[in-house]
Amino acid sequence: MSTVQPDDRTTVVPMLECSGITMSFGGIPVLKGITFTLEPGTVTALAGENGAGKSTLMKIASGQYRPDNGQVQVRGQHLPSGSAQAAYSLGVAIVPQELASIPEMMVYENLFIGRELKNGFGILDRGAMIKAATGYLEEFGLETDPKTPMKALPVGVRQIIEIIKATHRGARVLLLDEPTSAIAEREVGRLAGIVRTLRDQGVAILFTTHKMEEIRAMADRVVVLRDGKLVSDTPLGEITDDGIVTAMIGRELDQLFPDRPDAGTSTVLEVENLVIAPGAAPISFTVRSGEILGLAGLVGAGRTELIECIYGIRKPVSGTVRVSGSTLKPGAPLSSIARNLAIVPEDRKGAGAVLSMSVLDNATLPRIAAFSKFGILSRRKRQGAIGTVMKSMRLKSNGLDQHLENLSGGNQQKVVFGRWLTGQVDALLLDEPTRGVDVGARSEIYRIITELSSAGMAVVMASSDMPEILSLSHRAFVMRELGVVGELDRAQLDSPTVQDTIFRLASGQNAAPVKDTTS
Amino acid sequence: MNTTIEALPAVQRRDWKEFASAFLVRHIMVVVMLLIVAFFAYRSARFATPDNLTNILIAAAPFALIALGQTLVILTGGIDLSVGSVMAASAMAAAWTAKNAGDNPLLPLVAAVVTGLLAGSINGLIVSKFEVPPFITTLGMLTLASGIAYVIGNGAPINGLPASFGTFANTQILGLTLPVILMILAILVLAFVMKRTNYGLRVYAIGGNRLAAEIAGVRSRNILFSVYAISGVLAGLSGLMLASRVITGAPNLGQGYELDAIAAVVIGGASLMGGRGTIWGTAIGLLLIQTINNGLDLLLVPAYWQNVIKGVIIVAAVGVDVWAARRGSR
Repeated sequence: MSTVQPDDRTTVVPMLECSGITMSFGGIPVLKGITFTLEPGTVTALAGENGAGKSTLMKIASGQYRPDNGQVQVRGQHLPSGSAQAAYSLGVAIVPQELASIPEMMVYENLFIGRELKNGFGILDRGAMIKAATGYLEEFGLETDPKTPMKALPVGVRQIIEIIKATHRGARVLLLDEPTSAIAEREVGRLAGIVRTLRDQGVAILFTTHKMEEIRAMADRVVVLRDGKLVSDTPLGEITDDGIVTAMIGRELDQLFPDRPDAGTSTVLEVENLVIAPGAAPISFTVRSGEILGLAGLVGAGRTELIECIYGIRKPVSGTVRVSGSTLKPGAPLSSIARNLAIVPEDRKGAGAVLSMSVLDNATLPRIAAFSKFGILSRRKRQGAIGTVMKSMRLKSNGLDQHLENLSGGNQQKVVFGRWLTGQVDALLLDEPTRGVDVGARSEIYRIITELSSAGMAVVMASSDMPEILSLSHRAFVMRELGVVGELDRAQLDSPTVQDTIFRLASGQNAAPVKDTTS
Repeated sequence: MNTTIEALPAVQRRDWKEFASAFLVRHIMVVVMLLIVAFFAYRSARFATPDNLTNILIAAAPFALIALGQTLVILTGGIDLSVGSVMAASAMAAAWTAKNAGDNPLLPLVAAVVTGLLAGSINGLIVSKFEVPPFITTLGMLTLASGIAYVIGNGAPINGLPASFGTFANTQILGLTLPVILMILAILVLAFVMKRTNYGLRVYAIGGNRLAAEIAGVRSRNILFSVYAISGVLAGLSGLMLASRVITGAPNLGQGYELDAIAAVVIGGASLMGGRGTIWGTAIGLLLIQTINNGLDLLLVPAYWQNVIKGVIIVAAVGVDVWAARRGSR
């Protein structure tokens, strides 16, 4: 643990010390003067909403980014600005969200990449590497054969191997960026065990997460960022879950969601016997005007597939979709657009927007016919209609000609929403509408969703964010294995045990209720 | 300098140095172009004469057409390696038609355009419908079209063509030859199309993010098909220009032109990843290459050294582009 060498100073030298870090991208401040320290043998959770600056801070601490101001010290030594190599040699290792392993290479090759063991002739000594790798893996309780190709392993195991790779090279500061975002529940426990082992060896660990249980399970201190500021730095024992959430979003959670007006009576969206993949159960439902239907479920349950099949990005096996009575052509987005169906896809950067194009051009695409005559675009028409919509969305940009890549996630999402609103929309499909959106813009997007539904749109909203489902929906489906396994009406959504009900339905087990971590 | 800062909206206020360098980077090729022109004008009395500038334009014309087609293809994130060979095949088809169908300047034109359209359509079909990577598809077409060019001439050039075969390249209107006029028209029309029409916006959208474009209702396959078809037709016209100028069909004509065309597009600031680039950029890029070719000839630089210099300029241009992109992403 934090035992200090006799000849050392009596105070513990911090492993990592950030002081007065500021950073901005394209003129937009992301970090506004962050100061904190990591002591040896501690685990610190870095909490904050998307866009709060967590990843940026991690990249600065690991030398990948150069801060505009402020400095980083590792064990009392100054970390030269923006040098990943220097950070590495000072013993700072980062395991990024997107893993840096090489899938085609074997586990031991990945472990030794860049510092391979060689025999006397300068030739790779594979035997020695395999033997050493076996030892490392055993030490962390992995029974994996070091000769397994990396790509054959589950993400959770790959991640642990990345951690081993970092630490067996002598890392004393370990930064884990969203270590649990892509791994299964079962693997989270193992990760927590490894984090504890490393802590007991005196490593200082900093990790980011969205999940309260993980903060409770792994950390002994929590640092909260909000809109680029450090708003709380507290030992875990001295702060409640509500305290952390309040620090993260800067207000009581309830205020995040607007009031929910009543749904209308006329049927707008009809989904009939839609089979979204071979062997899946057919799905049928209707959504009325002004109604918000939530789709809950675990990753891979089929929420995205259902939305994509309805819209036509994906061709369903069978089944029909009708919007306001007219049937859509399966697998043809253009036909869906013509029948006033709109979508905000899950992956904004991959599917929602063309980042290299301007706000104006992005917003022109879905309704291009309305803005042109004989195939020639009318700038006047575009600017009028799109300008009005983007104003009502309260888009923050340098005008309509700004490229999307220079906007924040929340503002990009407003464009992806707003581009549909220059024309009639009867039904709106939302897939994770607030993913990667910072908290200020998040409440604005909730306001927009509620306004659109109260104006008569039928809304289907898939979300992994439980408060979103619980607060916005009039009705919610729980999906599992590409089918709908449960339906909850408004009264059930208000029940205090609803989270437990949804979890049981989604995981398909009659599991014990999730441990209440607030007590 | 302060006025520069004030002129920028507060949301994205930049350092004036950053602004100045961004401005310079954006227009670096124009600056380079002017410097090179000034250099040649200083070193060679013959460079800045109307006759020589006309020569540059005449030499640029066939090259311009394929570079313009290439720009569209590259904007979608693809590449067309076959244009040089398609030029040859189209020129041979035109020459064969002139030889066998008599003294009519229009029939060879039709033959060249049809050949180019056919080759481009095959490329477009394979890339859009069967989703074979454009590099592979057009590499295949490069070999195939070159083979066709030799087959048409039985391995030899087609000579002894009627004088009307030269009409296309040698007719002058207002002191400009037909190919130069065609080049200027093509630049103007395509610049308008790419900037102001639905089609242009869709091409950019596909290159920027194909999935997002499809979700927004763009039929990406049709657009992809069309850019290869357009590139083929322009290569056909370009091949005819070269053959018509010397009233001969040569099966090795246009060889290596595809690389100069790609270089012009890239110097013009386009990204090989798609979604970024302009017709005006390509126009600057190809004029730059042609000016260098012409100027080095006038200075009697040996041909092999000309290639060395050109190579350095191409890589330097792309280097600047990458550097600028990296700065922009920060």
